[in-house]
Formats: sequence, structure tokens, C-alpha cells
Amino acid sequence: MEFSMKRFLRRDVIIPVVLLASITILLKLTYDTVDDTETFYALTGWLLEATLQSATPLILAALGGMFSEKSGVVNIGLEGMMLIGAFAAVAATYFFYDPWIGLIVAVLAGGALAVVHAIISVKMKGNHIVSGTGIILFAAGFTTLMLEVIWNRKGMSEQVAALPKVSMPFLRDIPIIGVAFDNLSPIVYFTFVLVIVSWYVMYRTPFGLRLRAAGEDPSTLDAAGVSVEKYRFVGVVISGLLAGLGGAYLSIGRELPAFGKQMTAGRGFIALAALIFGNWSPLGVLIAGLFFGFLDTLRFFVGFVPAWEWVQGYSQFLQMMPFVLVVLALAGIRKSVPPKAIAVPYEKEVKA
Amino acid sequence: MSENRLQDTREPSNETQTSLLSRIQADVEQIRIKLVNIAEEAPRPIKPIIVAVAKLLTWTFWKPVIWAIFSVILAVITSAVIMELSGYNSSEAFIALITGALRQFDRVLFFSTPLIFTGLSVAFVFKSGLFNIGAEGQLYMGSMAAAILGYIIPLPYGVHPLVCLATGVLAGALWGFLPGLLKAYRGAHEVVTTMMLTYTAILFTQWLAAGPLKEPGEFQWNAQTARILETAELPTIWGNYLHAGFLVAIVCVIVVAFILNRTVMGYEMRAVGLNEAAAETAGINPKKNMALSLAIGGGLAGLAGASEVQGNLHRFYNLWSPGLGFDGITVAVLGSNNPFGCLLAAIFFGFLRAGGNAMHQQAHVPIEMVGVMQGLVVLFVAAPRLVQWMADQSLDYGKWFSVEKARPILFIFNMAIVLYGACFSFSLLGETQLGLAFIGISAAVSILSIAAFFLLFARNWRGIIVSLIVSMCWFALAVIGMGAGADTGFIFLVGLVQAVLSGLSLLLVKGVGQSKGGGA
Amino acid sequence: MEQEGRYAVELIGINKTFPGGIQANKDITLRIREGEVHGLLGENGAGKSTIMNILYGFLSKDSGRIIIRGEEIEPKSPQDAIDRGVGMVHQHFKLIPPLTVTENVILGLEPASKKPDRDNSLAMISASLLVLFLMYFFLPPVEFLFSAAVLLVFLTVLIRPLQGIGNSATLARFGRLLGRLGSDVLPLGFDDAAKRIQRIADENGLLVDPYAIVQDLSVGLQQRVEVIKTLYREADILILDEPTSVLTPQEVDELFVTLETFKESGKTIILITHKLREPMALCDRISVLRDGALVGTVNKDETSAEELAQMMVGRPVVFTVEKPPATPGEIVLNVNDLKVEDHRGLPKVIGVSFQVRAGEILGIAGVEGNGQTELVEALVGLRKPSGGAIFVGDIHTTGKNPRFVREAGVSHIPEDRHRRGLILPFTVEENLILGQHYKPPFISMPGILALDTFGSISGELVEKYSIKTTGVDSFANTLSGGNQQKLIVARELESSPKLLIAAQPTRGLDVGATEFIHKTLISMRDQGVAILLVSAELDEIRSVTDRILVMFDGRIVGEKMSDETDAQELGLLMAGHLDGEEQTEAIN
Repeated sequence: MEFSMKRFLRRDVIIPVVLLASITILLKLTYDTVDDTETFYALTGWLLEATLQSATPLILAALGGMFSEKSGVVNIGLEGMMLIGAFAAVAATYFFYDPWIGLIVAVLAGGALAVVHAIISVKMKGNHIVSGTGIILFAAGFTTLMLEVIWNRKGMSEQVAALPKVSMPFLRDIPIIGVAFDNLSPIVYFTFVLVIVSWYVMYRTPFGLRLRAAGEDPSTLDAAGVSVEKYRFVGVVISGLLAGLGGAYLSIGRELPAFGKQMTAGRGFIALAALIFGNWSPLGVLIAGLFFGFLDTLRFFVGFVPAWEWVQGYSQFLQMMPFVLVVLALAGIRKSVPPKAIAVPYEKEVKA
Repeated sequence: MSENRLQDTREPSNETQTSLLSRIQADVEQIRIKLVNIAEEAPRPIKPIIVAVAKLLTWTFWKPVIWAIFSVILAVITSAVIMELSGYNSSEAFIALITGALRQFDRVLFFSTPLIFTGLSVAFVFKSGLFNIGAEGQLYMGSMAAAILGYIIPLPYGVHPLVCLATGVLAGALWGFLPGLLKAYRGAHEVVTTMMLTYTAILFTQWLAAGPLKEPGEFQWNAQTARILETAELPTIWGNYLHAGFLVAIVCVIVVAFILNRTVMGYEMRAVGLNEAAAETAGINPKKNMALSLAIGGGLAGLAGASEVQGNLHRFYNLWSPGLGFDGITVAVLGSNNPFGCLLAAIFFGFLRAGGNAMHQQAHVPIEMVGVMQGLVVLFVAAPRLVQWMADQSLDYGKWFSVEKARPILFIFNMAIVLYGACFSFSLLGETQLGLAFIGISAAVSILSIAAFFLLFARNWRGIIVSLIVSMCWFALAVIGMGAGADTGFIFLVGLVQAVLSGLSLLLVKGVGQSKGGGA
Repeated sequence: MEQEGRYAVELIGINKTFPGGIQANKDITLRIREGEVHGLLGENGAGKSTIMNILYGFLSKDSGRIIIRGEEIEPKSPQDAIDRGVGMVHQHFKLIPPLTVTENVILGLEPASKKPDRDNSLAMISASLLVLFLMYFFLPPVEFLFSAAVLLVFLTVLIRPLQGIGNSATLARFGRLLGRLGSDVLPLGFDDAAKRIQRIADENGLLVDPYAIVQDLSVGLQQRVEVIKTLYREADILILDEPTSVLTPQEVDELFVTLETFKESGKTIILITHKLREPMALCDRISVLRDGALVGTVNKDETSAEELAQMMVGRPVVFTVEKPPATPGEIVLNVNDLKVEDHRGLPKVIGVSFQVRAGEILGIAGVEGNGQTELVEALVGLRKPSGGAIFVGDIHTTGKNPRFVREAGVSHIPEDRHRRGLILPFTVEENLILGQHYKPPFISMPGILALDTFGSISGELVEKYSIKTTGVDSFANTLSGGNQQKLIVARELESSPKLLIAAQPTRGLDVGATEFIHKTLISMRDQGVAILLVSAELDEIRSVTDRILVMFDGRIVGEKMSDETDAQELGLLMAGHLDGEEQTEAIN
């Protein structure tokens, strides 16, 4: 087959290749500076673990965003749904002393907020972005308010029980992996399962087919005798459920199981960036989420290597990367195809 | 279908409602035409005033106003419910809010100043058919630029503030122009690019404030730049807070209104925003106008940042803005993208902010309640059809009531008990010692009650069924609570009342529905 | 009863008004016989697609009755029509480009072979309720919730295989709901569906790869997919909306062969078209619609293309335009071998050359969709031509932007006044200055609009062109169609153009407004303006223009002086029946 640069670029090969290459170079450089195998293993293991940890909420929220945007509804309220999930998880755990109940309540809370978004943007045909803004504002205000109502504290809630960690004793002796997978939250594993399940649902079930049709061309779905509103509604609610799960991981899935004011800190928006960068597909979301998580971790990682401490002065640029990459992607560096009918409320009775 | 809805009462009521509305509209239109006729003959100085009054009488002017007021009222009611459920006294809180804000009106205007700018920014861009949700980033760039020029170059008193403001505008405009270009020539959606550039700007200014431009000194943990020179400050004009930035904001409102309504540029932008194809046919370049309008919007947001730095903060602090750019969206939406509407909406939100402090001090309601109210206002404004629907339903109810008495009254009683039940079950959610089953059923009751309320409000007979199910849940709750050793007599009573009411309505509705409905 | 049984579809007294006030169907009554090919003929906007979309359940009707094979239905969604064997191939294909052929075909009908069984559902529900009841007593709360969730999943996915008991309606409804949920998440039977599509394709000679992505297929193949979609749903009443408008001649021939085989297999076919040749070739009976009303239904054997053309476009001539003979001056518009493609990249204007002189009205006649729209868009700068040259006077305007073309002295009355002509939420005066808003007298100083002047100038224009409005500050969308068009005419003529391009300027207007516009055009001509009038209405073309070009399939197929030709000759040319000489020319 003839080699063509354009085809090479278009096939999305270049990004994974560049990623792998840069990570390899980074690891090699680390090895050279540390010059001690034990330390190197520990460092790399930590890097992997931290990447997984910070990627998990991003991937979950981005997967949620995918369900909503594939069905044609923009969901910039992911941030708010994550926040309310994080809060609900801590509150429910606090009252019932059981983090699993906290998890369920968090998912439901995210879903409940998504129902509001769905009613406004699908049923009432309101502006998706205005509604999403309202969701973010409401969630930010409501969680901080309830923080004060329940714990009578500002800024940070009391600590609650965390989800039990999954330890893998049989892996402990393997270098790097032993460190990385020793003490992860079950939600991390669950996320990978969810990516596969999402892929399956999206591309191998009637539900996924209809959902994608609702986002690409609602009038075709309508002509096939299927209710567009119903599938869009369900898509938005699923996005809320997943974002709520991502929020729960932030609060009760990590080291410090407590709710902090504004604790999502823009992760909902990074998730949106991952969604766009991952080209609205589950596997793309996984890769983009892991990459953005890796970037997020890198700024702490450089602190551990004495020779690289100077990079910490520029950590903001590492944090900036997801956003810049998305702007570049949209500017045409990389093909990104959003669902065609996104953000367009579907009105039946308009003369074509 | 006729089974599901009480069709027989629906049809005529819709007619009366539309005819009522159209009659009012027609009457007002008559007055307007009369006024215009008077204006023709009126002497020159009075003529513009009469024409302006005539314009105020059009339905297109009143519709967004009524819609905004309605949304605010709904938001206030909802936040009152939230306050009551959280254990605060809502009436006390609102009184404290209003009196507090009125007593310190300078603070109201102070809080509204940046909101006016960002609201204008979003509204201006919206007029050309685009959505600028990145005002926050443009604001950070503007404030950083103003802060840098504020302390680096010494300039005389009159000139320095203006130079700083201008730099702020320029920085914000550049930050808005970038997504504008991407939109016009690469088709990149401006919602995504402006949002992403917002976070880029926040992080970039953070780096500047924490790195190269960090204020020297040992005890500076916060990332912040050096204090701006006194020559660059905007003077305080009223009270302790309100600075000259407010005057700039007022000027901007007038300038933006002028640009939109009186200039070729504004005309072209509105044309592109309302019908791109027709504008293109008429020889207007849509791409140029899109990029330009985002640049101007960015400039306005940059001005917000600059005026805050020069009038209030006097230096750039890392992450100083509490989401002023995002609030700009809410201001623009509530002000229905009209410059003067934005001014009023910004003052309203400033009022909430200023009153929020008083509410916190006197009624001990956390200041975050203001954020909740703001979010609720936006959510209600975002759903114009909700307000429309509620108005329709209420009018329908009026009509129904004039036709017959028994069923509407029962429905209304049922709605009242369901609504009360919803609130009551919310308060039961706190009784965690009664066990998971109790809490779970309480939660189900809350959700079902709300659903039943809306179904009943839509006069759908399924609401009665849901209400009946809820009453059964109440009995279950009473039994479970009793098992856990609590006094559940009241819960039992609520369930009993609801069961009787909904049972009665069901009998009446099904009885009448079968004799009347059927074929229709 | 017997009489009724012979009709596949009866539409009785259908009325439809769109939000916005356009009445698309006025009391249309159509009866379509079992097994016939019925042509539905009419111009664009005559209401053909609307009434068929109403039959298909895609649009709601305001009043009237729909009877399919003797059964009266009230379709709420296309599903109701699909269930009764109605299939529709829309003009703008209802296909989703990034999906495969199989995915597109099965959309909406995925679990067709696996409809959930009510009895099975009942059994599962009863069993699971029992299990839930037991679990509630024997498990601690958390585990109970989890098991309940797991059970629910099992319930939804595995609801079918069990045998049933019980007979309660509520339970059955609940079961159906769960079953529907379950069928949503069950895996798609891709391969089964693909096999079935392959079989349908083979049986009907519609070769297509079930695994191909739709956007990679040619338009002709996409249409095949649409036809397969209806066959997959076992439709025996087929509605085809303008099926040939996007096809090449070879593809049209193939389609007609397919339709013939369908007819032989007893299917009822409704063919919507505006091309005269097609129903004459294919249909048994033909119904003609005009302006939303039924003109008549005729048997193919008892009619001719000319009669149909007159039924379709013929409007009673209620006035005669008095016009002095033209005195053509120098060439104002010179078009040389112009080639234009549409947005899909299909050639729409194929090597068109003509001149328009000052003081003459050149008419371009032709059934719509034969390249006129693209031609006009290229002339006014809205679409870049793929070849050829356009000169306005001495100015080379090929591929220039609309403002440049306007500055060169061209005015344009667009075909679609709502989309291109007016900004409806703008006021009358704002619309009246559109396009001249950046020049004096509408600006008082550079960049600043002179509100006072344009108020007064608009007032004068409203008076001069007798536009009926409550005031220059009322919104354009409050005006009637005729007055909206007058507004555009006023605006375009007041810029004192050298060349006026008017596309379908009287479409949908009443007699008075039409007459006004015709008179205005002629008086402009007498003032020495060159006018290019594109119209699908024969009478308009004949009475207003001086010279007529007939456009068919992107080419100019004939040139006639308007006082030397008649409706029959033009009608034949418009229908593609060429004179022997010109025919060979066009083929070459």
C-alpha cells in the first residue's frame, strides 16, 4: 500500500505514537537521572498509580458526556454533576456509615441533576448551554450550602469512611506493577469495565444505535418511528449517573475521604476536553483521559526527581495542555467529528 | 388518548386563553398606534419621548421582562423551600437580604460593576449568533494586563487609569479574537474553544503571578503581583467600595447599545446573528463579523478584569474572580441580551450579593444561598416553555373551575396534600436512626409526590394513581417507624388524608370520564 | 365495502397549515388503488411532500381522514404507518452518513425478530418479586440493594426464555415495559440482519454491501439503501419522494426497472415528482397538485405531457401585461460556459452561455431543480463556479463575493425570501436598507447609521411600493407574503442597478402583488435596466419577458422569442422533449 502522510495523520496513529515515544523518553531520562533501579521502579510505579487515580474521574465524566453528546445534547453541566456526586457520596456515607451506600446515592444524585438538565434541554427545548451553566452554579452553591448545614463547617467536611481498597498481594513482587496496583480503589477497575460496557452499548445494541441516530440526525430516527426525546432524555440521565460516579470517586475513593468546597476544580471541563480529544468514542475517551491524567500527575512527579524540580515552576503549562490540545485539535490539527445535530433541539413540526 | 387527559375541559379553555391574551395584546397595540399617531403631530422635543413610550408598549418588549420576573419569582419560591428544609427561617432571611442590600446600595452597585461588563460581553457576542462562555478567561487576561501596566510604567494621574483600562480591553479582545478566528475560518465551535481558552488563561495568569511577576517578599505565599501605583487606581466615588469602574460600565452599556442599534457594524452583526444566509446575500461578510464580535466581547470582559484590578483589588491575585465571567452568562440570559436588560440583571445579582452578607449576619443563612438562587434563576430562565406551560395550566384550571366545582376542588386539595407530603418526606430524610428502609421509602415518597403534583397540575388522571401509591407508602413508613420505636401517628394521618382524597378523586374522575369521555 | 377495499390508501379532506401560517394542503382528497403506480405531480411547494408525510405519520394533519386498506387511522408517529405496511423514501434521504448500511436499515426495527413475549415477562416478574421478597428478609440492606440491582439486570436481559403464567393486565404492561428495556440492551443481531438485507437486495436486484458505510456510497446507492429500508419493513405501499432528482440518467433507468418489478409483485407505489416525463413513463394514474390543492386526477392513457404541464403550472391569466417592444442596448451580463456544482459536488450547471442586454428581460424557464438555483447563486457571488466566466458590463465578477457583485451594479431578488431575502426578526426599515446600509444616505458619518434618514426614506418607499404595514418599525414577519416580496423588490430596485436578477419573484403571491411586480419589472426595463427573470411559471415567462431560454438538466435546451412561441412548445422543452437538432447538441 502506498504510504501517504495525510492518511497517516488522519488515521489517528500519530497521537498514540507520539504519546508512547514521549513517555518512553521520559522514563529513560528518569532512569538516567535517578541511576538506581529500586528508586526508578518505585517512582514509575507511583507515576502509573497516580495517573490511573487522576484519570479515573476524568474518564467517568467524559464517558458520561459521551452518552449525552452522542444523543445530541451538550452537557457542560458535567462539572456540577460531579460536584453533587462528590458531595452526596460523603453525606450519605456520613449518615449511614457505609461508603457503598454513599456510592449509590452519589450516582443517583448525579442522575437527578441530569434529569433537571434533560427536562430543560430536551422536554422544554431550552438552550443547552444556559441550562448547563445553571446546573454548575446551582451545584456549586447547593453543595457549599449543605456543607455548612450538615457539618456546620466551611471549606471541608468531616472525614468519613472511604471505599475499601483492592489489594493484589500476588502482584506485589512484580516491579512497577506491584507498586501501581497495590492499593487502588475498586472504582478504578470498574471504570475500565465501564469503558468496555459503554463501547458495547454504544456500538452493539439497539439502544446505542438509536442514541447515535438521535445525535446525528434526529429526523431520521423520528422517521423510523422512534421517539427522539426519549433517547435524548435517557442519554442525558446516563451522563449524570456516570458523572456522579466520577464525583464519588473524587470524594470517597481516594486518600482523604471528605468533601471540600469546589473540590472538582474544573475536572468536568477537562472531561469535556477529553471527550472532544477522544473524538466522542469510548476508547478515545479512555486514551485521552489517561493522557490528561498523566499530564496532571507529571507536575507532582517532577518534584520527586531532584534534577527536575525547576519544572515545577512551569507546572501550569502542564495543566494547560489538555485545553490547548483541544483548541489545536479543533483548529484542524486532528480530525474531530462531533455528532451532527448536537445542541439543536429537535422540533417536529417545522417545514423542511 | 382521550382516557389519559380530561379532554372535554381542555379544548375550550385553550381557546379562551389565547383569545384573552390576544385581546390584551390587541388593546395594547391600539394604544401604541394611537401614541405613534400623536407623535407624528407632536412638537419636536416631546416627539422622541412619545416614540420611546410607544416602543415600550410592544409585546416583544414585555415578553422577556415578564419571563424574567416570573423566573425570579419561581427561583425565590424554590430557594425559600430549600432554606426551610435546611432549617433556616426563609422570611427572615429574605427580609434581611432586602433591607441589607437597600441600606448599602453602594455595595450593590459595587458588586454589579464587573457583572455589567461580563453580561454585556456575553450579550454582545450573542447578538451575532455566537455564545461566548469564555468571558472568565478574557477577564483574567484583561486584569493581568491592567495589573502589569499598573505597576510597571509610571504615568500621570489622569492618563494612567485609562491606559491600564485600554490594555485590559486589548488583552481581553485578543483572547476573544482567537476563538473568533477559529470559528470563522476553521469552523471550530466557539462554545468549546472559548471554554478551553478560559482555563488556559486562568493557568497562564496563575503562572505569571506565581512565577515571573510574583511580588517580591519573603512572606508571599499567595501568588500575586505587586500593588499597582496609586496613579493607576480608579477613584472611589460612593461609600467605601463603589469605584469609578461603575461609571465606565454605564458608559459601556450606552456604547454597546449605540453600537448595536446605531452603527453599521452593529447592524451587520445583528443581521448575521438573525439570518446568516440573508446577510450573506446582502453582501455582509459573516466570517469577519463573527470574529470581530467575539473580539469586542472579549474586550468587554477584559474591561471587567481591568476595572476590578484598578478599582477594587489593586493587584492581580491568583484565582481572584469568583466566576464573574460565568455569571456574565446568567446576567445576559436574564437580561435577554439587551444592554439595558443586562444592566438591570447585573444590578439584581449585585443586590443578591450585597444582601447575601446581611442575610448571613442576621439570619445566619450561609452566603452560598445566593449562588443557589442564581443557579435557580438561570435554570428557570433557560426553560421558557416551563413558564409558558405553567401559565397555560393555571389558566386551564381557572376555566375548569368555572365549568364545574367538585373535581377541580378535589384536584387542588390533592395537590396541596401531595405538595405538603413532598416537603414532609424531605424532612424525614434526616431521621437516619430509623433505618435504611425508612429513608429509602421517604426518598421514594418525595420523588413520587413531586411527580404526582406535576401530573395533577397537568390534569392527568395518572396523578391520582401516583398519589394513591404515595398514600400506601405513608402507611408503610408509619409501620416501619413504629417498628423502630418512633411515634408515627402523624405520618399515619397524612397517609390517611391522602388516601381518602385521592380515592375520592379517582372515583369521581373515572365515573365522569367513562360517561363523558370514551369517544372524544 | 367492496368499493372501499379496492383502495390501498384513502386521504379524505386533508388540511394542513404550518406554524408560521403557510397552508400546505387545502382540502385534498386522494384515493390510491391497490397495486397501482400513482404519480403525484406538482411544482415545488405545491404540497406533495406534505400530504405524503402526513400519510406517513411524520407530520400531523389539522383535519381530514386517513384510511389505509379500509382501516381508519390517526398516525401519531411513523411507527403507526410502518406497522400498516407504508414505507417512504424521502427526498432528503433519512440516512445517517457515518453508520453502515445495516445499521441504517435496522434503525427503529432492531428487535423485530425478537419481540418480547408477554407471558415470559409475566413469569419473570412473578418469580423475581418472590425472590426480592425472600431476599428482603434474609439479607442485610446493602447486599439486598445490590442483589436487587443484579436481579433487575438479569430480568431485563433474560426476560424471554422462560415460560409464562398469570394473566393480569397491569403486570403485563409492566412486563412489556421491562421487555422493551431488555430489548434495548440486547446485542444487535448484526449478522442476521446483514444476511436478511443481502437476501432482500439479491431478490430485488438492488446490489449493495450491507457492511459499507453510507457516506462512502454514491447517491444512487444511498437511494437503494432507502428502498431496502422500506422492503426490510415489509412495506407494500411505497412512497417515493422525488426519487430521480439526485440521480444520473443511468441510475434513473435502473430505479425504474426496480419499480416495475415492485409493481409486478403487487406493491402499491406513490411517486412524487415535478418532472413530467416520469409519471408518463411509469404511472397508471396521475394526480396534479397546485398551491396545496388538488387540480385533478387523470389516467395516464387519457392525458398527455402538455396537458399535465398546463395543469401543473398553468394559472388562469387574469391580466395582460401591456408592454412596448423592447429596445435592447449594449450587453450588461455576459455569461460564458459557466459550470457550477452543488454542495454535494454534483454538476448542476453544465456549460451555460448567454447574454443579457440593457433594456431587455431575459427569461429562464424550466421546471425547478434543473440548475436555475445554482446558476443564480453563481451569478450573484454566493457560490463559486467551477468553470467559466461572468462579466457584468466590463467588470469580471466570476467567483467574487456578493458585495463586490452588488457594487458592480447587480441587484438580486432571491428565490427563497425567508431564507435569503429578508431578516424576519428585523423591522421593515431595517430590511429596506439591507445591502445599502453602509453607504450614504443611510449613514450620517462613516460607520454610524442615520436613523432619521432611513426612517423617512423607508417611509417613502413603503408609500411608493404600497407596502401594507402598520409602520416602518413593525417587524418583517408581521407582513403578508406579498408585502414581504414588495419590500424586497423595493429594496433591490432602489439601489438603481444595471442588472436585476429576479428568481421566482412571484411565487406564492396573489394576483394583485404578482401584477404589481410584473409592471415594476417592465417599467425598470423601459428605464434601461437589464433583467434576468428566472421562473417556473409559463405564463409569467411568456407575458413578461422578451426572450426565453429553457433550462433542462443544467443545460440551455432552447432559445425562443417570447412572441414567437406558445405554452405547448415551452412545456415540451421544459419536460425535456427536445427538438431533434437540439437534442443531438445536448447529448454531445
